[in-house]
Amino acid sequence: MTANKWLVTAGALALSVGLAQPTFADVSIDSIVKDAETADDVVSYGLGPQGQRYSALDKITKDNVDQLVPAWALSLGGEKMRGQQAQPLVKDGVIYFTGSYSRVWAVDAKTGHELWQYDARLPEGILPCCDVINRGAALIGDKVIFGTLDAKLVALDQKTGKVVWTKTIDDFKGGYSYTAAPLIVPSSAHGPLIVTGVSGGEFGIVGRVEARKADNGDLVWTRPTIEGHVGTLNGKDSTMTGTKNETWKGDLWKTGGGATWLGGTYDPDTKLIFIGTGNPGPWNSHMRPGDNKWSCSRIAIDPETGDIKWGFQTTPHDGWDFDGVNEVISFDLDGTKAAATADRNGFFYVLNRENGKFIRGFPFVEKITWATGLDENGRPLYVADNRPGDPKDSKDGKKGASVFAVPSFLGGKNQQQMAYNPGTKLFYVPANEWGMDIHNEPVTYKKGAAYLGAGFTIKPIFDDHIGALKAVDPASGKIVWTVKNRAPLWGGVLTTPGLVFYGTPEGDLKAVDATDGKELWHFNTGSGIVAPPITWEQDGEQFVSVLSGWGGAVPLWGGEVAKTVANLNQGGMLWTFKLPKRVAAN
Amino acid sequence: MVRRLFLAIAAILATAPAAAEPQVDPLKSPVWSDLAKKVFGEAPYVFDDAVKVSVPHVVENQAQAPIIADARGLADVKRLIVFSDLNPIQLAIALEPQAAAPFVGMRLKVEQSTPIRAAALTADGTWHVGGVYLEAAGGGCTSPAAARSVANWWDTLGEAQGRVWPAADGYSRVRFRIRHPMDTGLAKDNTPAYFIESIDLKSESGSVLATLKTFEPVGEDPTITLLVKLPPNETAISIDGRDNNGQIYRANIPTPRTDATSRQPS
Repeated sequence: MTANKWLVTAGALALSVGLAQPTFADVSIDSIVKDAETADDVVSYGLGPQGQRYSALDKITKDNVDQLVPAWALSLGGEKMRGQQAQPLVKDGVIYFTGSYSRVWAVDAKTGHELWQYDARLPEGILPCCDVINRGAALIGDKVIFGTLDAKLVALDQKTGKVVWTKTIDDFKGGYSYTAAPLIVPSSAHGPLIVTGVSGGEFGIVGRVEARKADNGDLVWTRPTIEGHVGTLNGKDSTMTGTKNETWKGDLWKTGGGATWLGGTYDPDTKLIFIGTGNPGPWNSHMRPGDNKWSCSRIAIDPETGDIKWGFQTTPHDGWDFDGVNEVISFDLDGTKAAATADRNGFFYVLNRENGKFIRGFPFVEKITWATGLDENGRPLYVADNRPGDPKDSKDGKKGASVFAVPSFLGGKNQQQMAYNPGTKLFYVPANEWGMDIHNEPVTYKKGAAYLGAGFTIKPIFDDHIGALKAVDPASGKIVWTVKNRAPLWGGVLTTPGLVFYGTPEGDLKAVDATDGKELWHFNTGSGIVAPPITWEQDGEQFVSVLSGWGGAVPLWGGEVAKTVANLNQGGMLWTFKLPKRVAAN
Repeated sequence: MVRRLFLAIAAILATAPAAAEPQVDPLKSPVWSDLAKKVFGEAPYVFDDAVKVSVPHVVENQAQAPIIADARGLADVKRLIVFSDLNPIQLAIALEPQAAAPFVGMRLKVEQSTPIRAAALTADGTWHVGGVYLEAAGGGCTSPAAARSVANWWDTLGEAQGRVWPAADGYSRVRFRIRHPMDTGLAKDNTPAYFIESIDLKSESGSVLATLKTFEPVGEDPTITLLVKLPPNETAISIDGRDNNGQIYRANIPTPRTDATSRQPS
């Protein structure tokens, strides 16, 4: 592809005389903070830093969405397929997005023609747990910032795709990788910050959140997620996370997990970063008595100092790999500054986002076996028999009693993002109904090796479906409607006035009625969708874009779920849709 | 990098004399007229025996063909570039000899038999072109790097070694090697292009001796020879490299004593 670089350059110069080329304008921190209010760009992960994935654009409506047609499609090429999980960004007529194997593209949003591509050269020994995916880039200033599977943070020149700087987040040989979209937040002390986490919770790493200066990538603060570890600010030790040995006995906290692998959201109102933390390590919970804070939690971090303002643990003393990483979405609950999150463990939580206090919680999946409910503080009421048995109680000490637990470790909801519609006041949650056989085994930590101490296999719990798109009312705790899907849902949701867009592993991008879930439109993109759609406006037309490309954790870890996804093929395509001109005009 | 090259040429154009008549290529390359436009734009060029290119009679390894480009026969050379007509990526290296001779030795990937050219840009804005025809077996640019078959190539990435020899004419010969796969992005194994794109040589006191732009055709583990003018009493040359993934490589090469009275033997 680089063979004719000179020709390409010369050609571009000649063309620029006759054709309108996309412009490359700097992305200000202000435009990121106010992203939800502007329809002509998408400059944050979640269509606004609060992550609501709501757009007020209403040119595509319930009445005309069935006329939606492809405007163009772009192949990611290179024979490198596997899961495409990224949310594209749009700025001044250019779409920026990432793909599998740590690749980045800039594409003319009107034509779908590629402007530049960057392929990171990855070492042979990378250790991603759940496919070679990436969830997206961030834009700030004149840079495009993304993370790589070998745990590097890379800043590219927005105009050329050339590397401006590279920072090593951590050692990929120790199990670290980076797959989330970096979060850009304002700070008064340090200017715009790039906030990142780490992946590698299955390898005995310690999760942390880091903030770097947006212009040069210099580290400003770090915040470990596991109690006993000390953070840094401006190169010096700052505060300890929690109190050492308070909820972790012994010294397993040193390899305690809590990976911050899904990235976070930012609420400009409370000026807090909300980020989730993954499972504690190892999976075998009998080795680590206590609540194991702050694993399986949501924490609120002050961008000025990196200090934790509040934490809420969804699954204390996790024994089922119920990572607490799922996104926290800020919203207004009848005047209360609330935030909501749909956990892997099957419960939907509504919190006060100013202080983390529990408002209400309820199941958003059909069946939960490991807890009977939540107490008044949101703590699970555990079913003791549904925790995998202690291997020490078995005859040879090698395998504990197996249990069938629901949800499975892939969760009632996983990385696929839900959306909040302020018009319907409903959350749209891409959920999955499945369980697992799970047992515990002894395990010791070894650098770069899986640190689980568990064996497991996933099973469907219904004959006809695993996936279920649910409309959830945060005020009443009711599931307003459900749309079933045979294969597990793994792609995020977008909502607009009246509509909900989401993709399925079967390959369909669908639009349903936001009030009752009735399907209004679908289009087969040719491979499974495991990424969130976006919408934006350009030259008076509303566009919808989504990446298509089957992969991610399900085909790797799916167990008996495999038969629902057996005939799904990999791909790699960015699709963009719009209304034909005659329909849009009516 | 290519963009920068064009800009540099455009800047020179402003003051350069009018474009010269098309030149007859002494090597009769089928692509010369197009290639000359790509490389020089509208800037004037002349074929000039003062720019010498040395290649071996027999290329033993088409992924590492030794090439020497030497424009010491010209005065006031601002830039010296090496390119090959029939390689899929033509430009291999560009030298700006701030305090160095217009001379570079390197190893080149060769995809097929091809003219190998060196062009020196003199202060008057004219390119002086020399070249030879290199007979070679094919495939140097599209074969995977040898590093590809070594699982831990990452561990030795960026390791550097080098040596400096003092010379009678005031120039010191410096040769260094940096471990790097220099992937062209054209190999069938789908490895993306990954190559060192810039190398700066500085004296111990910080003055720039030479700056190099390097491209995909430079052989794996780039091995480069330059002739630099060292300030007196310096004990090391620093090498400052960067690849297209933003990885930085730094090394120091100790220099031999240039003045017997200035320092005791260690």
